[in-house]
Amino acid sequence: MGTSGASRDGGSSGARLRATDVARAFKGVQALEGLNFELGRHEVVGLIGPNGAGKTTLINVITGFDRPTAGAIELDGVDVTGWPASRRARAGLARTFQQGRVFGELTVQENVELGALGVGAGAHQARARADELLSIMQLADHAKLPASLLAHGEQRKVAVARALASRPRYVLMDEPAAGLFESDISAFAEVIRSVRDGYDAGVLIVDHNMALIMAVSDRIEVLDQGRSLASGTPEEIRRNIDVAAAYLGASGVTAERERG
Amino acid sequence: MSRLAPIRPLLAPVLLIVLVTLVGSLTSTATQQNFITALVSVTIVIGLYVFMGNSGVISFGQVSFVAIGAYAAGELTIPTGPKHYVLPGLWSFIAEHSVGNLPSLAIAAGLGALYALVVGLPLMRLSGLSAGIATFAVLEITYNLLTFWPKIAPQSGQTLSLVPTTTGLTQAAAGAIVAAVVAFAYQRSRRGRLLRASREDQSAALAIGVDIHRERLIAFTLSGAVSGLAGGLLVHQIGSITPSQVYLELTFLTLAMLVVGGTGSLWGATVGAVLVSLLDSYLNQAENGLHLGLFKLTLPSGAADLILGVLLTAMLVLRPRGLTGGREWQLGRPRVSKIRSASAMSYLGRGRARR
Ligand SMILES: Nc1ncnc2c1ncn2[C@@H]1O[C@H](COP(=O)(O)OP(=O)(O)OP(=O)(O)O)[C@@H](O)[C@H]1O
Ligand SMILES: [Mg+2]
Repeated sequence: MGTSGASRDGGSSGARLRATDVARAFKGVQALEGLNFELGRHEVVGLIGPNGAGKTTLINVITGFDRPTAGAIELDGVDVTGWPASRRARAGLARTFQQGRVFGELTVQENVELGALGVGAGAHQARARADELLSIMQLADHAKLPASLLAHGEQRKVAVARALASRPRYVLMDEPAAGLFESDISAFAEVIRSVRDGYDAGVLIVDHNMALIMAVSDRIEVLDQGRSLASGTPEEIRRNIDVAAAYLGASGVTAERERG
Repeated sequence: MSRLAPIRPLLAPVLLIVLVTLVGSLTSTATQQNFITALVSVTIVIGLYVFMGNSGVISFGQVSFVAIGAYAAGELTIPTGPKHYVLPGLWSFIAEHSVGNLPSLAIAAGLGALYALVVGLPLMRLSGLSAGIATFAVLEITYNLLTFWPKIAPQSGQTLSLVPTTTGLTQAAAGAIVAAVVAFAYQRSRRGRLLRASREDQSAALAIGVDIHRERLIAFTLSGAVSGLAGGLLVHQIGSITPSQVYLELTFLTLAMLVVGGTGSLWGATVGAVLVSLLDSYLNQAENGLHLGLFKLTLPSGAADLILGVLLTAMLVLRPRGLTGGREWQLGRPRVSKIRSASAMSYLGRGRARR
């Protein structure tokens, strides 16, 4: 694991999502500080860190939902720092939200179709992509239900399917597995891998479920107080003592115990 | 039935329009005006709905486009001879050209769209309260232009008269059906769906690539076209127009129609327009004495507006999504309440099985 694409990066090709030296300050809080981040196509990067570390802020800054106070965002060699969020989305940068944010009154199927329609797909194409994703995500049974009626975990799956329906080059997921049943996690991990391998997309996944992050990530970035604390393969991260101190703490120990 | 499924939500509004037309055709010429007014109201309210219903942004300026359409269609159909006489200050281009009924309606729609596009460019960046106030300012500007600019309208708000009365039941019904078809086609289209998504959740819409400003502008322009057409129908119904007829009262009345019916659906717009328009017509008649079979009902002056105000307020408090709940009429579909309980059951079952 971890060798499928992450190690192929020569750094020379422009096909990367890159945040250079980004900072974001809120009144009194430095949410991000001089942060560098890269995501390649065909790569899954796990982003972890304690509450308030700046994970969501980083996703917001990259996708255009928030402006960095300093730094630049580059999408496959194009500087998109000044672009509005919707334009970045149409350029192949998809995201999900920590709060889910499905279109509650629309059906599950309509939600997923919209992901395709938003980037210019026609109605037929949108329908086909939705059918495919609904079956991959095991949501087909709920296709005709208003999305608001689904349980929280299921709503997040809808949001992920909606993001994927745009056939993104990069997809940034903010706690997509929160609220999923433990038994659904491995199926979800499989989805993430197939997004990388089948859709040839780069995936950034933020989650507090360490088992999931360890299982799917080619590389893990650890964020603390807006700075990068560590970066490496899941194995390296697990061994990293600083990280254990900063983040894993008690829960990290439990995760270790469960595995070992 | 299943082949009709995609257009099913269009059937109900069209059938209601046809029903109003049929009932109207059975009544006396005087009463028939109430039904023509109801059909013209349907067109105005559908114009309002195309923007407000799909975008979720409030607009008090929509009647401006009705006004533009009414003046354009009116001035262009007055024969050139009398036109010089009643409108001495008019721009020579308008003064020297006259067109028939149908071209005047097309021009009314076109100018309504153009005007909406021009004012929409800066305005569509706003939402919430500022959108409400700014669109209200547009209504104010239009009213003053039509009142005080003799190159485009009669001097100092005098009546524009001598307009051919070509809007009978048939033309009013045809106009309303055209409006319904246009609104339906738009809300089913890719762009319409994207705008409706942004109404539910702006951030999520941005995340899927929706340029909200642009989609709103498109809806605003389309609603300007439908409203302009409605203005053309209106002026050809009355045979004359004054700026105050397409100003505050009509704005309030048509907003009440949309809210009572339900802002979120074409069905709501149609139902609200028909019901409130007929109610308004009969209440106004009752202020002058309305014969109801054996006895005569006479309401005090002002009662009509008062009753409509109370109705609107009650609606907002008791049923804020309108009579239709903002949903399209869908025969043969399971009711949402049933889906709701069915899915709750399935989740209960699921939870038990998993743990
Ligand atoms: N809009 C905002 N206004 C003010 N402060 C903010 C805002 N958004 C984030 N912050 C602050 O920035 C810091 C980083 O927040 P962020 O949401 O990025 O953390 P996170 O890593 O996603 O945390 P969590 O795991 O709880 O989701 C926090 O201290 C937070 O309080
Ligand atoms: Mg967060």
